[in-house]
Amino acid sequence: MSIESPPRAVIGTPHRPFRRGVDNAILGGVCGGLAIRLGVNERTIRIIFSLLALVSGVGLLLYMLLWLTLPRANETQSIAHRLLGRRRELHRALFGLILVVGFIIVLDRLGIPNLGIYTWPFLLSLAALIGVWRGATPVEHKHLEELVRSAPLIRVPASPTKKNLLLRVLLGTVLVLLGLRTLSRLHGVWGGTTPVLFGTIILIAGVLILLAPWWLATLNELSGERRARVRVEERANVAAHLHDSVLQTLTLIERAAGDESAVVRLARNQERELRQWLFDPDHRVADDEVGTYSSLLHAIEGEIESDYGVKVELVVVGDCAADDDVLALVAAGREAAINAARWSEAPLVSIYAEVEPTAVSLFVRDQGKGFDTEAIPHDRQGIALSIRQRMCQHGGSSSLKSTPGVGTEVQLSLPRTS
Amino acid sequence: MAAGQPRVFLVDDHELIRTGIRSELAGSLDIVGEADEVDAAIEMIVERTPDVVLLDVHMPGGGGLAVLNAVSHKCPDVRFLALSVSDSSEDVISLIRAGARGYVTKNISGPDLLDAIYRVAAGDAVFSPRLAGFVLDAFSLEGKNLEAGDVDPDLDLLTPRERQVLRLIARGYSYRDIASELEISTKTVESHVSSVLRKLQLSNRHQLSHWASERHLN
Repeated sequence: MSIESPPRAVIGTPHRPFRRGVDNAILGGVCGGLAIRLGVNERTIRIIFSLLALVSGVGLLLYMLLWLTLPRANETQSIAHRLLGRRRELHRALFGLILVVGFIIVLDRLGIPNLGIYTWPFLLSLAALIGVWRGATPVEHKHLEELVRSAPLIRVPASPTKKNLLLRVLLGTVLVLLGLRTLSRLHGVWGGTTPVLFGTIILIAGVLILLAPWWLATLNELSGERRARVRVEERANVAAHLHDSVLQTLTLIERAAGDESAVVRLARNQERELRQWLFDPDHRVADDEVGTYSSLLHAIEGEIESDYGVKVELVVVGDCAADDDVLALVAAGREAAINAARWSEAPLVSIYAEVEPTAVSLFVRDQGKGFDTEAIPHDRQGIALSIRQRMCQHGGSSSLKSTPGVGTEVQLSLPRTS
Repeated sequence: MAAGQPRVFLVDDHELIRTGIRSELAGSLDIVGEADEVDAAIEMIVERTPDVVLLDVHMPGGGGLAVLNAVSHKCPDVRFLALSVSDSSEDVISLIRAGARGYVTKNISGPDLLDAIYRVAAGDAVFSPRLAGFVLDAFSLEGKNLEAGDVDPDLDLLTPRERQVLRLIARGYSYRDIASELEISTKTVESHVSSVLRKLQLSNRHQLSHWASERHLN
């Protein structure tokens, strides 16, 4: 929703609603907006505000108040409204306000002279300015940033003219001298804190103005260069990886076009590899590492899918480091899974692994032809036995459940000591 | 649900995937439309109010989450089933939390997908083994890395029975298998799963975000 406002004041024609100006804004657009609202010249309003600012800072406070509470043209919410909507911001704002008030009261109590009647308006406006910055919309942020950047003495002109340089050096030097002078008058009539504070601020401002162009230029150059380098490196990495994996596999698929199962296997392997690379970059395990429980199981998933052409659905909950016991568990699970892939005739083997505080468990299930556990054929007995023995050696347990025509499930479990 | 076939809407930015799904499901479902980008999807779903939206998780312009967030206020009766190749658990869980009634991977077989769609249309939840794993993972953190105050006991804890059901799903059991394994009715299994879904959607944001950040760090 946008509220139509003329971009500039039409002299003699008041306009509703009252909004902060956009096109005729210098700072927050308060004067511009007021000019549009009243139908008078913008400069008149600005002069009135400046004069009011001299009267105990009333103009300054009024300006900040309007900045906070008045929505910008084309926007529906004021900055204050936006800040109030965010609880956290509100708390921060309140905290800041209390801090400012406390600071002034302490200064007053201690009898330390400060800015006199201008203290309150000055500090409150500063707080309001922070509020404006936090609550401004991105568009307004951009406007403010633009403003700071184009401030005549911080800006680095594209082609620094002699006049510009002279002005900068002159002003910088004057400020530095002024700061030093204020600092050196510590024992004067003013007393301690205030001159130190203002002297330092003036000194810093002077140095900044003197050195700003060089500093900014170096900063821009550095970050630009770094960004470019990172981008090039990242691109090279991605290209190298795609070349090694996807392109190679595509070539292989082309060559194996006649063999349906080979194509499926290649595609599946590539899919798994790419997916891991995309979504699980931290689990990329180097070949020489032992890896964790989860990474070992993922390796088995890949091995079985490519060697036996069945799909493996692996679900892992939690993870732990692979010690000898866990390695034995994984080996037993691998045997069970290969068994299922080889004999069950089911297209899918489900592996579920869970790491709990007290136990590590593994379930291997297929919905294949199953068998009668009472009359296990000789070759199967061997496998069942070897799984059971492995688990026993490491203090774990195993059980096997199979029903002809329904499927088989092997359950393996290992107690965890730590 | 209207009498007969559920009305289904497809959202996926890949033409090939849409074509594949359409050809697999055409006879058994009433496909009322499809969209390949977020804004068009939102507009058409609001206009046609299908029973079930098959929603791709990853799309340019905000993905399935943007569609879900935009539509669910306007049309509370439209149900969503997330469909993705993604393995990223954060994405899936955030979609479920936004209101999707289930999640299946794109390599699901035709009959299984059909089954899932009918289930979602009937108001049930569809938990694939992978989703069950994600959920168990998310809730297994409780008591381990969290302060006592972080967990809202009324909402966040899964009952032992719900945990049992989720484990069986993760192990590859169908609802019917679970029913016979636990000697309860299929309806009871469904109600357990629905209650897990509800807890997932209502549960204390703190815990799940903790889990998600943990995941990113690992």
